[in-house]
Amino acid sequence: MKKSKLNLPKRILVVSLILLIILAGISFLGLACGSTGIDFLALIKIIFKSEINESMLPAIIWQIRLPRVLLAALVGATLSLGGLVFQAILRNPLAEPYILGISGGAAIGAIIGILLGLSRFPGVSLLAFAGSMATLLLILVMASDKTILKKDSLLLSGVMVNAFCSAVIMFLISMTQDSRLHNIIFWLMGDLSVADLDQTFSLAMVLIPCFIIIFYYSNVMNLLLMGQEQARAMGVNIKLVIFILLVITSLMVSSTVSYCGLLGFVGLVMPHLLRIILGPDHRVLVPACILGGGAFMVFCDLLARTLPEQGEMPAGVITALIGAPLFIYLLKRSSR
Amino acid sequence: MNMKLKKTNIILSCFVLLVLLVPLNDISAMEIKDQLNRKIHLPKQIKTIVSLAPSITEIIYALGVEDLLVGVTQYSDYPAAASSLPKVGSYVHLDLERIIALKPNLCIATRDGNPLTTIERLEIMKIPVYAVDPRNLETIIQTILELGRLLKAEKKADFLAANMRSRILKIKNIISCTQHRTRLFFQIGISPIVSAGSPTFINELIELAGGENLAKGPAAYPRFSKEKVISLAPEVIIITSMARSTVFEKVKAEWNRWPDLPAVKQQRIYLEDSNLFDRPTPRLVDGLELLAKLLHPELFENIK
Repeated sequence: MKKSKLNLPKRILVVSLILLIILAGISFLGLACGSTGIDFLALIKIIFKSEINESMLPAIIWQIRLPRVLLAALVGATLSLGGLVFQAILRNPLAEPYILGISGGAAIGAIIGILLGLSRFPGVSLLAFAGSMATLLLILVMASDKTILKKDSLLLSGVMVNAFCSAVIMFLISMTQDSRLHNIIFWLMGDLSVADLDQTFSLAMVLIPCFIIIFYYSNVMNLLLMGQEQARAMGVNIKLVIFILLVITSLMVSSTVSYCGLLGFVGLVMPHLLRIILGPDHRVLVPACILGGGAFMVFCDLLARTLPEQGEMPAGVITALIGAPLFIYLLKRSSR
Repeated sequence: MNMKLKKTNIILSCFVLLVLLVPLNDISAMEIKDQLNRKIHLPKQIKTIVSLAPSITEIIYALGVEDLLVGVTQYSDYPAAASSLPKVGSYVHLDLERIIALKPNLCIATRDGNPLTTIERLEIMKIPVYAVDPRNLETIIQTILELGRLLKAEKKADFLAANMRSRILKIKNIISCTQHRTRLFFQIGISPIVSAGSPTFINELIELAGGENLAKGPAAYPRFSKEKVISLAPEVIIITSMARSTVFEKVKAEWNRWPDLPAVKQQRIYLEDSNLFDRPTPRLVDGLELLAKLLHPELFENIK
């Protein structure tokens, strides 16, 4: 026990470094590939030399692909972390913002904001936050009954919340002829093409402090996994910590939803993969989820914009194609 | 040695930057306003254009300046030659990367459909975007004249405008012979049933062609139940949609189940090309002529 504690900072550093290299590698791929072709050599030239030639490639890379890669990394990090936090608090390995309907609640808020003609920040983002808090509250009220902590009933209530949210979304879409909802189908499946550098930075300003706060509480999440009684015995103010974590997480999730719509299952894939490799210590898992989740999302977005011959597909299609089968597998395994 | 090389490198790149910047300032010499009243810096000479909507592509071809076009959107299918140009995504979901890679020195956008955020980002990247906003036949003609001036094809534009005006006038004259307004249900969507309300080109065409648009109203594209359509008792049903003929036969057969419907009784259910009615282009007048003939065949019997 003591030995592993001594090694902890080193371990965090090594894991982070490895994942950072992976993230950098995938980001490099993401910068090199696009709908106009793949050119690694040109990218290397552009990054390392101040060579300016006639081509538009530098503009494409810095002003179109870079904001997109950054946004994808941020969103992936947020959603993975969101999954990790929910899994710890609800002590349910299948909890995830999208599956629990929290993303859906944020989407309702965001759509209402768009229909009211509010600006993306703060109007739409605030309403998205309100929506996600409302669904979260609903889930917590259901979860306060002990039986809900059983896997299946929590998931079932998530499914119901989700179904309700998508019904409300379809209702809002059907009631309006608004041209601002032209791209709504894309947005509902997760659309990262809106990225520009300013917006990505302002999103980062919100998200990065949240990452830090969650990392601060990572040891408490370890205690929570052992059970609330145990944690209380260790002198943790459980209610306060849970409250802070939930508010922070739904703030993160709702702000990503109001930017790029619903990206499902990201919070499932990375935390599970990393837990298998790195073990259950949240002090390692939190930074790992941030970097690994970012890398996963950049990769999914890369596929989404290069696979189709014409145009692109929503990134949420890819995350769901990878995530949903994994979810089924995990459900099957955990019910054994 | 290495230091020296670095220094020359820096000086060289500064020089290259300067060379690049000077013509950039020079290019954006002219400032004009587009149809949305936005100021745009126009290049001195328009060399390459990306058209951001099928209708704009059509107008550019009609003006005979298609040599300038280096990119178009998906579904830019008229004239057929336009289909072979590089595509930059669909007009509601533009692919910025492809647009920029084509290095246009002007993009032409339409307010109806093109997302504003994309337009703004193109401008941040120093690609001027001229936006048009045609609302009815008259503003379509204005748009053609304006684009003609912009692209140095005034003569062709004047000819197109005069041609459109005279054809519209001719239809007006013919229709003025009758008081009857044929009750028309213009079906642009099959499932759900969707028609076109007052704020559309279709409504204007129907009224000019001597018809009564049964879907008149503030909603641009209202949805209808079958029950509602039947209760409106249309004399003519025109189905456009992007339907192929087999789909059309199916829809027609469904309407035929109500033999008391005037349109069924008189066998006046038609399938027409939607592009003639919803694209703000010179071809809209073709749509008008077609519509007038379908609504008032009796008036056209003597005219060949």
